[in-house]
Amino acid sequence: MTLEVAFLFLQQGVASGLIIGSVYALLALAIVVIFKTSEVPNFSQGEMVMAAAYIALYLLVFRSLPLWIVMPATILLAFAGAALFRRLILNQVARANGSPVNLVIATLGLSYVLRGFVRQTGFGDTPRSFPPVIEPESILIGQASVTTLDLVILATAIIVMAAFFWMFKYTKIGRAMRAVGMNPKAAQLVGVDLTRIHMIVWGLSGAISAVAALLISPKVLMTADMGSIVTLGFAAAIVGGFTSLPGAVVGGFLIGIIENLVGLFVASRAIVLAPFLAIMLVLVIRPQGLFGGRVEIKKV
Amino acid sequence: MSDKAAAMLSRSEASPPARWTARSNVSPARIGLLALTTAVLIFLPFVVTGYVLYIANLLLVFVVLCLGLHLVIGETGQFALAHAAFYGIGIYTSGLAGNAFGWPFPMSMLLAGLIAGAVGVVIGAVALCMRDIYLALATFAFGEALQWVFLNWDKVTGGPNGLRISPARLGTLEILSDKQAYPVVAITTLLMLLLTILISRSRLGRSFRAVRESEVAAMAMGIPVRRAKVTAFGLSAFYAGVAGSMFATFSTYIHPDSLGFQTTILVLTMVVVGGLGSIAGAVGGAVVFGLISEFLRQTPSYQEIIYGLILIVFMMYAPRGLFAFIHDKAGRVFRG
Repeated sequence: MTLEVAFLFLQQGVASGLIIGSVYALLALAIVVIFKTSEVPNFSQGEMVMAAAYIALYLLVFRSLPLWIVMPATILLAFAGAALFRRLILNQVARANGSPVNLVIATLGLSYVLRGFVRQTGFGDTPRSFPPVIEPESILIGQASVTTLDLVILATAIIVMAAFFWMFKYTKIGRAMRAVGMNPKAAQLVGVDLTRIHMIVWGLSGAISAVAALLISPKVLMTADMGSIVTLGFAAAIVGGFTSLPGAVVGGFLIGIIENLVGLFVASRAIVLAPFLAIMLVLVIRPQGLFGGRVEIKKV
Repeated sequence: MSDKAAAMLSRSEASPPARWTARSNVSPARIGLLALTTAVLIFLPFVVTGYVLYIANLLLVFVVLCLGLHLVIGETGQFALAHAAFYGIGIYTSGLAGNAFGWPFPMSMLLAGLIAGAVGVVIGAVALCMRDIYLALATFAFGEALQWVFLNWDKVTGGPNGLRISPARLGTLEILSDKQAYPVVAITTLLMLLLTILISRSRLGRSFRAVRESEVAAMAMGIPVRRAKVTAFGLSAFYAGVAGSMFATFSTYIHPDSLGFQTTILVLTMVVVGGLGSIAGAVGGAVVFGLISEFLRQTPSYQEIIYGLILIVFMMYAPRGLFAFIHDKAGRVFRG
């Protein structure tokens, strides 16, 4: 490989990596915001993405609604579904007072239900493709070739992330979320309604998943198993430290870029492996992740 | 919700369920349960036929997998999520030992367990520096990476074409049917069950539980915490390896697809829904949930929905598992 080709590959890898990485970053954000406030790694995140994608497909293709209705409707439905799951199911699981892992098993239960439901409706039987939001035309940036659709994906993801960070940092609800993340009891004492905050956090996570679903669906084949893409969101969250929101975003872009560079420079078969090696490397070298805080020393 | 940052995947120190406390007495009920299990295992092949015995073999493999996961999660409280990877190592090791060298099955079974256990110790030594969610995620990553190896190391594992496993043999005896495999599988399961009980009642088992309840307190009592964790992890990998080898005695084909995170999660749900921290829970969870997913196979389209709903409902209303639930309800009836 000449230097010139290597440089071309590098540009292409970084460009494609940033685009797909922006979707991973959204997914990681959706995972981390739940983990930060309720310490549950949500194993149904992938199925939430999958379900949102199928809702959008159903409304768009089978009900032939216009796109400007489909998008907000999908996001709202995902918000409501996730918030209700938290309120009706997880509240009861938490109240039942078993082992903390029970909440995780309940999210697994939801993932089975959603996947089974999509298969049951018959939409998930054959791989389907989602009509692209805009006609993709290819553009050259430097020497890297991307499409207009890619740019829309990147821009949307960045706007959603910026809005989310603004909300988390400057609004009253955002402050309440951070308070719950730091110390739920103290937050409750100063008047934060825990149930409501948990519902909103889950709802937001569902809404972000729906955005990610709308962005990624035109680029992949839709099947009932498409939720497995969230594995990369988990990888991004781990690389970023799992409790850090900026870490999740950086982790998302990093995983996207690593994946593409490995695909171009090593072998396309190694793409699948790259994120897991990245996870193991980061965890061994810096167990708390790139952006995780210092490991707390527990008192007896 | 606990106010400390005790992560979801770890045992929090707050309010340990009653079943988690150590038991030192051999109760008649416990021996009765063991005797009943043995009796059912002995008489099963005389009353049922082919397909049912295949299911029985499969359930027993899951019992051993659950016992292994029970040691590391239930006893030691370390959430390691790479069980399917070790199971895979066991299947491939004993399959290859049989295919290439024609080893007798007890030897390949032992080899499978030992290799899986050795890999487990190596991975454990690195991964168990971490705790809680990080441990879970590191072992998850290892499991996924190993599944990739199974899928891509064509020369050894057959890659995406899968691997044909030649029949297990001992001298001139060849195991060709589920019925012939059953005694091997059943006896191995009983041995592993006894081993688990022995470990659980030994000094080692007590040190596992001490680590689970509080690492700091365990350390203060002079328990080598790190070594206890790595031992538990290695043992659980050994169990998974043996389970893989058991699977290889009665099946003729293995594909890497069935060795991913889904299988680890299936075993985890069996252990948790059976009752985290109790051997009876691990065995019962494997049998009950193995049967449920097998029955649901008749209605494939509803399988996932029903299975998911069962998990959710259990977590909502029987948080300490099937057996604690029955125990509580039965106790209430007897007390009137």
